Amino acid sequence: MIPETKNRWRFPDLGVGVGLRTVHYAHILEKKPDVDFFEILSENYMDTGGRPLWVLEQVAERYPVVLHGVSLSIGGSDPLDRDYLRKLKSLAEATRARWVSDHLCWTGVAGRNTHDLLPMPLTEAALAHVTDRVKAVSDALGRPLFLENASTYAEFAASSMPEWEFFGRLMEAADCGMLLDVNNVYVSSFNHGFDPKRYIDAIDPSRVAQYHLAGHTNKGTHIVDTHNDYVIDPVWELYRRSVARTGRVATLLEWDADIPAFDVVHGEAQKARAFRGEEKAVAAAAS
Amino acid sequence: MPLPPLDLPLSRLQRWMQAVIEQPGSVDEAVEAPASKEELDPEEIGRVILPSKTLTSVERVGVYQGMYLLRMVEALENDYPALAHLLGPHAFGDLVTRYVAAHPSKSYTLNRLGEALPEFVRTNRGIPKKAFAADLARLERAVTEVFDAERSPAWPAEEIERLPQEAWPGAVFLPIAAFRVLAFSYPVNAYFQSVKDENHDHPDMGRKATWVAVWRKNYEVWRLNLGKDAYEFLRALASGRPFGKAVAATARKLQGSAGDQLFRWLRDWVAEGMFQGVRTS
Repeated sequence: MIPETKNRWRFPDLGVGVGLRTVHYAHILEKKPDVDFFEILSENYMDTGGRPLWVLEQVAERYPVVLHGVSLSIGGSDPLDRDYLRKLKSLAEATRARWVSDHLCWTGVAGRNTHDLLPMPLTEAALAHVTDRVKAVSDALGRPLFLENASTYAEFAASSMPEWEFFGRLMEAADCGMLLDVNNVYVSSFNHGFDPKRYIDAIDPSRVAQYHLAGHTNKGTHIVDTHNDYVIDPVWELYRRSVARTGRVATLLEWDADIPAFDVVHGEAQKARAFRGEEKAVAAAAS
Repeated sequence: MPLPPLDLPLSRLQRWMQAVIEQPGSVDEAVEAPASKEELDPEEIGRVILPSKTLTSVERVGVYQGMYLLRMVEALENDYPALAHLLGPHAFGDLVTRYVAAHPSKSYTLNRLGEALPEFVRTNRGIPKKAFAADLARLERAVTEVFDAERSPAWPAEEIERLPQEAWPGAVFLPIAAFRVLAFSYPVNAYFQSVKDENHDHPDMGRKATWVAVWRKNYEVWRLNLGKDAYEFLRALASGRPFGKAVAATARKLQGSAGDQLFRWLRDWVAEGMFQGVRTS
């Protein structure tokens, strides 16, 4: 029996969603598929008055929307970009976004952006730095911030705690939440040699408002978070383990490279229903 | 005995890692580059980044470094597909490498990464078919800008008939934000179309003056080939020249019933949604 969602903000379990991607625009507008919610990449809609925004407006009219960013650089040592935060807030309001998330990472310094999710040293100093910035961002947005655990490929020798502890302490200190990417837990556990179950079991279930699931590429020596394939079974098992702790929480499948037809992406997302103990999935399996 | 971890200040750690990531070439070369060494002696990397069971400390940073240029190439290929086609993967990759070194992204969005590429192509050496490439890049940049430009409602076509006769000479026609009119020295619009159509029988790429209007209508980007006179008239109008002066400047060059021709053009352009309104004094 899967309990209902237990997150402390009482954000609803939006169900099972997919990312809104350009290649699927025409299909979504025409077919109006039965999707529980869409997640949009915030930066793709901040500076456009063209077709992307037009599509988003129609999607937001019909479906619940959540915003997910890649350029907040919450761990960066440059000052926070106030113009970016202003636009993010405006977009969240315009789309009636249920929540706003980004990543525990930094993306660039000295005014530059590498457009990658770069790893943080897991130190006391970094924790204090990120805590202050999360509070500032939450104040600017007027809502709690949710941070995703990024896949990482490098570990810092100076780190003094595992990532799950860093997250736990950050969420307590800054009163923020987590977008728990189960695939990223798996990827990082492979790359750094820790037990992914330890990570899952250490996260405060009341802080998790959303899950991410995705495929990845195993290079043999390391795994890269490529979002270009189906979710592998060990990741589904981690998801099952986590849902048993958090209850049903909004779950989103990411597929960002070699993107197949919408129905393939949506179909892969629907697999999550079985792990959420949904009657819909049970009925589908029985028929 | 291993040396203790090196706990760099966050800003220095990030400057070093970014310097390595942004370097082209192998990661071994990247950690030895002056910008990287300025922040961290390569001998100390093992004290900053832990090795894994399968990768050395340098190789782990190399995972990020190896993906950086690929990401930049992909982003610019999206904005400049015809330029990428013209140059081919090797020359386009080389161009991107040099370009992002000179113009790294400073925005939260990759949409702006290519803003300076047309000028970079125009002013830098070693770019194949450079003059054609520079014109083509300018056209593709205009398409990108028009695609994302802010909205401005188009002036209804029937309004042009309601403009009082006495208002015409001083009327200033206001183009929509999603509008550009450009002059080229090469037939780049035809080349752009052949790439879009996946037609590899490209047009003659010899020098030939061409003129193109680029605008957005119903959230689609449209391109219209113009003749020289039409270009000059449209450009004059779009730059805020009063109708009477724009007509006078263009009509001198036209034979016969120039006024009728210019009015027909204007009516067509208004019907295509290139203008958002008219200001009369």
